[in-house]
Amino acid sequence: MPRLNSYRELEHLRERLREQRQSITTTIMVCGGTGCRTSNSQAVIDSFRNELSSQGLDDSVRLCVTGCHGFCEQGPVIIIEPGNIFYCHVSPEDAFEIVYQTVVKGEVIERLLYEDPVSGERFRTEAEIPFYKAQDRRILSQNRMVDPCSIEDYISAGGYSALPRVLNGMTPADIINEIKSSGLRGCGGGGFPTGRKWGECQEAPGDEKYVICNADEGDPGAYMDRCVLEGNPHLVLEGMIIGAQAVGAHKGYIYVRNEYPLAVKHSRIAVEQACELGLLGDNILGSSFSFEVDIARGGGAFVCGESTALMASIEGKVGEPHPKDVHTVVDGLYHKPTTLNNVETWANVPSIILNGSSWFASKGTKGSKGTKILALTGRIKNTGLVEVAMGTPIREVVFDIGGGAANSNPVKAVQTGGPSGGCLPLEKFDLAVDFDELAEAGSMVGSGGMVVMDEETCMVDVAKYFLEFLQDESCGKCLPCRLGIDRMLEIITDITEGRGRMEQLDLLEELADTVSQTALCGLGKTAPNPVLSTLRYFRPEYEAHIKEKKCPAGVCKALITYSIDPDKCTGCGVCVRGCVHGAITGEKKQVHVIDDQLCQRCGICRSECKFDAIRVT
Amino acid sequence: MLKYVDVSIDGAIIHAVKGTSVLDTAVEYGICIPHLCHVPYLSDIGACRLCIVEHVVNGRSEITTSCTLNVEEGMVIRTNTDRIRKLRRNLAELLVAQAPNSRAIQDIALRCGVTEVRYPFRNDDCVLCGRCVRVCAEVWQARAIGFVGRGKDRHVEYALGVRPDFCKQCGNCVQICPMTIPPCDGPMKPGEEYLCRKCESQLMDETPGSCSWCKLGEGFGCGRYV
Repeated sequence: MPRLNSYRELEHLRERLREQRQSITTTIMVCGGTGCRTSNSQAVIDSFRNELSSQGLDDSVRLCVTGCHGFCEQGPVIIIEPGNIFYCHVSPEDAFEIVYQTVVKGEVIERLLYEDPVSGERFRTEAEIPFYKAQDRRILSQNRMVDPCSIEDYISAGGYSALPRVLNGMTPADIINEIKSSGLRGCGGGGFPTGRKWGECQEAPGDEKYVICNADEGDPGAYMDRCVLEGNPHLVLEGMIIGAQAVGAHKGYIYVRNEYPLAVKHSRIAVEQACELGLLGDNILGSSFSFEVDIARGGGAFVCGESTALMASIEGKVGEPHPKDVHTVVDGLYHKPTTLNNVETWANVPSIILNGSSWFASKGTKGSKGTKILALTGRIKNTGLVEVAMGTPIREVVFDIGGGAANSNPVKAVQTGGPSGGCLPLEKFDLAVDFDELAEAGSMVGSGGMVVMDEETCMVDVAKYFLEFLQDESCGKCLPCRLGIDRMLEIITDITEGRGRMEQLDLLEELADTVSQTALCGLGKTAPNPVLSTLRYFRPEYEAHIKEKKCPAGVCKALITYSIDPDKCTGCGVCVRGCVHGAITGEKKQVHVIDDQLCQRCGICRSECKFDAIRVT
Repeated sequence: MLKYVDVSIDGAIIHAVKGTSVLDTAVEYGICIPHLCHVPYLSDIGACRLCIVEHVVNGRSEITTSCTLNVEEGMVIRTNTDRIRKLRRNLAELLVAQAPNSRAIQDIALRCGVTEVRYPFRNDDCVLCGRCVRVCAEVWQARAIGFVGRGKDRHVEYALGVRPDFCKQCGNCVQICPMTIPPCDGPMKPGEEYLCRKCESQLMDETPGSCSWCKLGEGFGCGRYV
């Protein structure tokens, strides 16, 4: 495609693309995100392609491989426009039926529609499904419109419209004021006001400045940045170009972890396409502004999500944080002023410029504006990516969108914000998804991970899990993080293995407080949060482990015993055959017995038993 | 030409050279801030966190390491508040529990007011202060040793585990290591570690926080002795 030399040429291109697409009557949008690919969406895509060409529908039906739709649990997911018909769990064999019935004849295939697990009702369109209905999808809704590998798709869907506004007419101060008054805050975890960051970077002395997109997402169970970068890389790029114009940078980096191969591939393609069209490079759209973007791939260290460590990693040094007594907006990458924002923050920028700051601020609370993408996982019915307006109560996210507990065990807690966040009990579910409100309660919005836990989750074990994760991921540079996490883990391991003493709880609290106040970087400072929040809200569980030597949730192996209820056991022998340790004995039709010495507490017998006869105490 | 700025450290107004760190300034003016990884002629990395101070900004105090904080006009620093003393004591406790077999570490624990160690002792040889790595890289420009591994596995090692030719075995890394001098009563056996607390009488209780040219300073390589 030829290079665009002015705003007008971009608009011409957009019109031409839209005209070309008028002959298309139907679009089949198949999710090609990582989540759906693991449930075989690539085969679905291939079989649709074959089906369409064999039926001669190539010209009138467009097959669009999109980014993540959010409802990963139901994957592979497809949507058919017009009609917004939503099919889930599609297999490659369904392609023929879908093309024949739905595309050609316009009939809906009942069997593939989404069935609500609570009411059993089937929903025809995406908009009707409760999971989507309660959401406010400003960023994610754009995912399903475009093929991430096609800049034409993005342009014809209205992309790169904010860019000409910024290049013609808006001064850097205008852009920064617009972002400031929108109230946009960093979506990567810190919640620092974006406008203020840009302002400080713009004012910082020096001609050479940088912008960086942080896509080094590493929280267990969180994948919103991956989905946005994978599903709509041009949106992030457009945001970055606007940001670069605002702060005066001419070079940008997308720091993406190499474990996200699709995100790396798609962002590379996006950069190449934008360069080809002259949306990146020298004199963008004929203006005097030049900006280029490189992709920097990270090795997958969690600590490299911290700004100074990330910059060290881009510079080719060891990814270790260094003290931030001078902020990175003044002394950042290569000791130059640097603006670093998270993927989601960059993705919010184009729509703020396009629709105005008051549009953006119309959603949200006093301190937190706009929407937030959350990765909803754990023991609930509907898992996936959800985008809600700031200020939505956690209860609504967990029960209305998430559909409540996955099985008969009631929901007990939710862990927000990844390893740096905290656990909130059911009583706190009326708290809103809001930076300040959650921070006050001892947790954080963080990057947006939300793990729901039920009565079978031991909170001490949860704290232990996160400490183990952080111990692995700590760089080891500063003493409180390296030794503090190690000692906290030592104490918690003592507690879960029945060696705990009550005075250790106070020590644990004091140590957690010390680490959070003295650690070098954000990782260390927030590392004790899982411990502090579980101690704050679930202290009785810790005390039960120490005083009664019991794990109320039946998780901590050293504190539980498996036994067979003689009243319920029918002597069927399933558990005897299932036990890999040979710990269960018993004749057929006789009550079986578990040998406590041999039992490894793996729980296989319990899951095998059809009569619920295995007790855990 | 040197430029000067006025900073307030523990209430004393100090006419300090611009561009120096708060730690250097404080030590030069006789205000003792315990430290381990800081060596005057090496770059500061803020690894040991013992030199934490309260930096009062707009009425709110932030905790930061004084070795990495440069003096600025009108800066207000507190080095010896209850909060700082408690945090520093906890850090020193972690340190001495990890590596009790060093006079320098025992001295620091004493200086920071550790009276009991609530964690099981370990007998580590290295506290990863990084003095050796920096002296090798910055003074001798050799970069023969560096940090290898992450988190718990972090240790000091030759690249790829083999001594390179450019290591001239000058021994500077050993000289500067705080772990080389054993406690007064000799090396402790694994499992028999204890908090030494022998040199308590040398501390001047009346003026905590101010430099008394203590023998302890010699032990942990205080900036005034180096």
